[in-house]
Amino acid sequence: MSQPVQQSQTEIIVTGFGGQGIILAGRILGMAASLGDKKESTLVQAYGPESRGGACNAQVIISNTPIHYPYVNTPDILIAMSQAGYDKFVTALADDSVLLIDEDLVRLQQAPCDHFAIPATRMAENLGNKMMANIIMLGFCTAVTGAVSSRAAQVTIADSVPRGTSERNIEAFGKGFDYGLSTLKGRRKVAAGQAGALAS
Amino acid sequence: MANKTDDKTLNILLFLCNWGAHAAFLTLQDQLRPIPHEIRMVRVPCAGRIDRAMLLKAFAQGADGVALVGCEPGTCRYGSGSANSLQNTDDVQRILDIMGLGRERLCFGAFLPEESEELLSFLQNFADEINVLGPAGIEAVPVISALNADDLHQELRQLVAAYDIHACQDCGKCTSACPLALIGKPFSPRAIASAVITGGIHSPGVQENVWSCLTCGLCYDRCPSAVNFPAFIKELRHLYRHTALPGQEVHGGFFHSLMRSMSSAAITPRRWGGLPDEIRTDPESPILFFGGCAPYYDIFFGKHSRPQTNKILIDSLRLLNFFDVAPRLLTDERCCGHDLLWSGDKKNFERLARINVERLNGLGIETVITTCPECYMTLHTTYADEGLELKFKVVHLYDFLEEQLDKGAVDFEPFDQVITFQDSCRLGRLEGKVDLPRKLLKRLQPARFVEMKEAAGASICCGNCAWTGCDGYSKALQVRRLEQAHATGSDLLVTSCPKCQLHLACAMEDPFRREQLEIELMDLTSIIAQTIRWKG
Repeated sequence: MSQPVQQSQTEIIVTGFGGQGIILAGRILGMAASLGDKKESTLVQAYGPESRGGACNAQVIISNTPIHYPYVNTPDILIAMSQAGYDKFVTALADDSVLLIDEDLVRLQQAPCDHFAIPATRMAENLGNKMMANIIMLGFCTAVTGAVSSRAAQVTIADSVPRGTSERNIEAFGKGFDYGLSTLKGRRKVAAGQAGALAS
Repeated sequence: MANKTDDKTLNILLFLCNWGAHAAFLTLQDQLRPIPHEIRMVRVPCAGRIDRAMLLKAFAQGADGVALVGCEPGTCRYGSGSANSLQNTDDVQRILDIMGLGRERLCFGAFLPEESEELLSFLQNFADEINVLGPAGIEAVPVISALNADDLHQELRQLVAAYDIHACQDCGKCTSACPLALIGKPFSPRAIASAVITGGIHSPGVQENVWSCLTCGLCYDRCPSAVNFPAFIKELRHLYRHTALPGQEVHGGFFHSLMRSMSSAAITPRRWGGLPDEIRTDPESPILFFGGCAPYYDIFFGKHSRPQTNKILIDSLRLLNFFDVAPRLLTDERCCGHDLLWSGDKKNFERLARINVERLNGLGIETVITTCPECYMTLHTTYADEGLELKFKVVHLYDFLEEQLDKGAVDFEPFDQVITFQDSCRLGRLEGKVDLPRKLLKRLQPARFVEMKEAAGASICCGNCAWTGCDGYSKALQVRRLEQAHATGSDLLVTSCPKCQLHLACAMEDPFRREQLEIELMDLTSIIAQTIRWKG
């Protein structure tokens, strides 16, 4: 699961509270894939009451070939940044899906598939702006799943975020990306029986 | 011990016990037996009194070999002399190995008065061995020219100008903050300042106090005129050396001899022997780990306690490995020279610093990581201040760790101890990294972390810095610090400098108060290495 997703079509759901920048995150993923990585992509976004505080979601499909149907039934990647969003989509996950969560906002009962956790909102607060949690999550997702390339994601972020904040958002992306790489590294180390610094 | 007069003759120093072997030596002299001409004999009341400092000092001052000859265990007139000699010989041999001189250059022998022929063959064999080994390679200590009164006056005036001592407002904030003054020592930074202004640096109180100063920087921190007192004291000590006033070197000057020897280009230390197998290093790595003096400390202080300062270095390497850095190690790593500089021996410091910088620059490395606060300050700041140009950056291990930990996905195992923290003066006040160790401490998962009454920027020194001027007041200071640690309710005192660990452990040796003072000591690096875990 830690390898870049190989199949030709990657279906992603990003979910969270309205106002977390869920739609923006989805849009950046799609734009990075199509404009940066020269693939096809679609975005279906939930708006209406959700974007005013309820559970909202963005459905993104990235593919090497033209996409015929833009809705996601079984996500390959689920990015959950709220408990409500997680609860809503958890049943749609398949065994080989990848689940990414904000570990402070989502409590996992029993994950139905491989999952990775990051304290994205806490990290964003430490960076001085809670609003950047979505970008941190994007960095994390990019490192863990390889759904888009890091370069494309960064270029798209720079174009998508409010004027004057692109540098800080790129920094936030880097934080999430590093955290993702560290997480993968930690998995390898733990699997190899080298969890600690001392010889066991 | 005179330094060599010509290059061909080697110097072998023989310390000879008055009670046993000396009679055998006299017999050899009476009978005109061929005692090797390299040997110079010093008759001593007991070989056991030739301590490790004296043995090492012989080498530092130009001996190529040293023979310690006393009595068989059990025949010592004073009881413990032979055992002492054996222990001292063993310790210094181990030190000589790491220094690169080799243990063969020091030997111990025991002879009865009638064993003159045995003594002769012992000496001949030893002389042969030393001749095979050749010169030890330690250069003569540069002679410091004495200053006449006018020059001294001039130097003092320059010192006053350079450190702007006239800016001192005589407000006394320094004295009211100084840990030594607060413990009751008649010590006053501003009094030293005015003594220098008036040229009275030879008055007894002043002279002693200059060597006692901890150079911990607390007074500098408090001074409203920002008189850099630690740096000023450093220069003043250097000046004292010019006026033939010896420094008050503690431990018999052992460490000063060690460092002075290191300033000779011809010796090649043999560091990093006996590393655990699992430590990964890479001779081509652009990152070098600079260890410091810990192995020497562990041998020297092993006589009194069981210091584990070398463990800090090994744990540092483990942490670098943990983050997939296999660092390069310098097998001929020398001392950084911190204690030479801070005990007034600027000449040897400059020599050593130049050797170090040339060696490190020649390696083509990008980064030097060190965990010792003194090595860090010296490599990072002092070398540049002395005009040496470094072609690499110097990073403290804590900075490296914080950067890596900040990337995340790493956890710490909880441990059931209440901890408190002893700041290092060098890292905290002098290098301004008070928050850095605390960031790391806050990541740990102890039962609780409690600061001592005087902590961070206001923290008290462990009682000594450059092995000078340790006295009863230093001990009282350490005891106060340990009491502060106990008052936090902690059962583990975390340190960040090997010297803090040595000095605080020494204060715990107080036979009357051992139980009240004892507290477990551990270096921050070691705690991190023990509890760090990949999240996985």
